[in-house]
Amino acid sequence: MLNVEDIEKEVTSIVAEVTELDRDEIWKKRDANFFKELEIDSLLALEILALIEKKFKIQIPEEKLVDITSLTATIDMTKSVLAESGRLQEA
Amino acid sequence: MIMNFEEVKKLVPQRYPFLFIDKVVELEEGKRVVCLKNVSGNEPFFAGHFPEYAIMPGALTLEALAQAAIILFKKSFKQDNNPGAVFLLAGVKASFVKPVFPGDQLFLEIDVEKVVSNAAMVRGIARVGEDTVAKASFTFATADKTSLG
Repeated sequence: MLNVEDIEKEVTSIVAEVTELDRDEIWKKRDANFFKELEIDSLLALEILALIEKKFKIQIPEEKLVDITSLTATIDMTKSVLAESGRLQEA
Repeated sequence: MIMNFEEVKKLVPQRYPFLFIDKVVELEEGKRVVCLKNVSGNEPFFAGHFPEYAIMPGALTLEALAQAAIILFKKSFKQDNNPGAVFLLAGVKASFVKPVFPGDQLFLEIDVEKVVSNAAMVRGIARVGEDTVAKASFTFATADKTSLG
């Protein structure tokens, strides 16, 4: 089972890796819009999605791609997918 | 053999001297492809790379892997109904392990990481015999060429 903290940590690391930004910096900007403020394009969003799938060994449907708009939104999307598969530990 | 050179040409838009797949030897639609490129001493790029020491440019090994990815993508996700579609390479991470020389049989293996309707992420390994010569991951998108300006 995964807890919320693990998910936040791992997703932040993935986004930092893809954007080549510092982990702390991306966390500070967690509500910043990926496309308008962080120069992330839809293909980088796809990379983020693929790395999240790999890290948590889950399948994320294509329609969730539009939810990858900020770090916070990406963490929320990951939590909801993990919750649906019963792998999110209730806080 | 899964596909010969004539069949490869129906899927890969590149042509001489820029077509780097001779045949497809393994294909698992939606998952994996293995292609073969026989590297001849007659390749036009050897004339310049280098005149006294023929060695295949690493960038062309990556191009060969990308062409293998096109075959996998087209066989897996029928794009033939859109003849205006072109493949745009958006991101590459690559490492080169060993040089490729004339006479080498270059096997190009592509495994799918993630595919959506208009883009894909794949990882590739180029090898000669059992030796890995290059590793790469690619992100590419399809777009209609009329939209490119």
